[in-house]
This record gives sequence, C-alpha cells and structure tokens, in this order.
Amino acid sequence: MNKYESVIILNPNLSSKADSFLKDFETLLSSNSFKILKTEDVGRRQLAYSINNHNKGHYLLFNLEGDPSKLIDIENKIKYNESIIRHLFINVKKHYGEDSQLLVESKTKRKDTEVEDDSPKIEQSKVSKIPEKNVDKEEIDSEIKDEKKTENNSDEVKDE
Amino acid sequence: MSKYNLPKNFDYKDVNILKQFLTETGKIIPARVTGVTASNQRKLTKYIKIARFLALIPYTDMHK
Repeated sequence: MNKYESVIILNPNLSSKADSFLKDFETLLSSNSFKILKTEDVGRRQLAYSINNHNKGHYLLFNLEGDPSKLIDIENKIKYNESIIRHLFINVKKHYGEDSQLLVESKTKRKDTEVEDDSPKIEQSKVSKIPEKNVDKEEIDSEIKDEKKTENNSDEVKDE
Repeated sequence: MSKYNLPKNFDYKDVNILKQFLTETGKIIPARVTGVTASNQRKLTKYIKIARFLALIPYTDMHK
C-alpha cells in the first residue's frame, strides 16, 4: 500500500457535472481497491497558461491510498476521459490532512463574490457555517475602503 | 538565517511561497541569490516544476 496525492483538472465547461464525475471516479478507484482518504473540490480556477484552449479549470484534489500496480490501470482509463484536461498522481510519504492552500484561497474568493451578488443556495449554506468570519471580512473591507478614501483626499490636497 | 519564511514541508499547492523564488519572467532564481540552502533549493525546484505542470505557475511570461 502506497500513499498518493492526486490532482485532476476538469474541463471548465463541464464543471457543473463535477459531482457525477466524482462518483464515477470513486467507483473507478474502489474497483481498483483504492481508498479515498480526502477529497477537496477547489472549483474553477484561472490557469496560468491555456491548456487545450481552456483558460480556466475545475481543480479536484484527492488523498489516496492503494496498490501501485493498480495505479497504471486507473491512469490508463483517465487518459482517455475527455472531460479531464490534466491529471497528476504523486507518491507521498505522509498525508498531512490539512486543507490545501488552493482550497483556502478559493473559499475566501467565493465569500467575496457572495457578498457582491446573490449566488445559489448551496454556497450560501457554506457561508452560514462561518458567519462570524464573514462579518469580520466585511468590516475589514470597509476599513480598507475608508483608508483608500483618506489617501485619495490627501492626494487631492497635494495637487491643490 | 533565511529571510524567507519557509515551511518545514514544501507543497506544490502553496503557490504564494513558491512565487517568491521566481523571477518576473517565471524563471527559478538561483540559490546563490536567494541564499536558500542547497537541500531546500532542490525541494523548491521539484515543487515549482510540479506546480508549473498543473498550471498554477506559468512556465514563462510569453504564454499566448
């Protein structure tokens, strides 16, 4: 049994079908006697360079445990799945179990967008779990804006 | 002492830490400039290259 970390980048146009893909992937793994220890759905994210003419990708992260000989079978199946634009399996010594920096970033970004426009119910439920932090953020944002305003004012004074 | 706050365990997903060791054009800065230890530099390059493959970091600034 080896420990693996896996990253899969899905086609952004099919990101609404990410849940069904997750189920398929889980069945594929379990049929090859792989265990999923943790999944992280990072969501759509800007790619640093375009892959197959896609500028965005839906990132999924997995912590896996399983047999190295079976991994080849899994990779062979994933290779010909057209909804995946890139995939990676890495052998690791240890799983740290903490949320990755990518997930943390995407969560904070989602919060920001929710404050601006009314988004679907699923995301709102996530916010309700951590309402205090959200309030803090808004306060901080307003503080920052205030600071900017004061800066602008000082600039104007200089100009005069 | 290093002037960078390096974690004990590097991670290819922690883009903000890796970006400290790239030039504006996306090249890896040599250890003689940053003062990172040789073993840390080897780990850094490994994880930077993984992050590039996953499109978290650009290879160059010339991408179309």
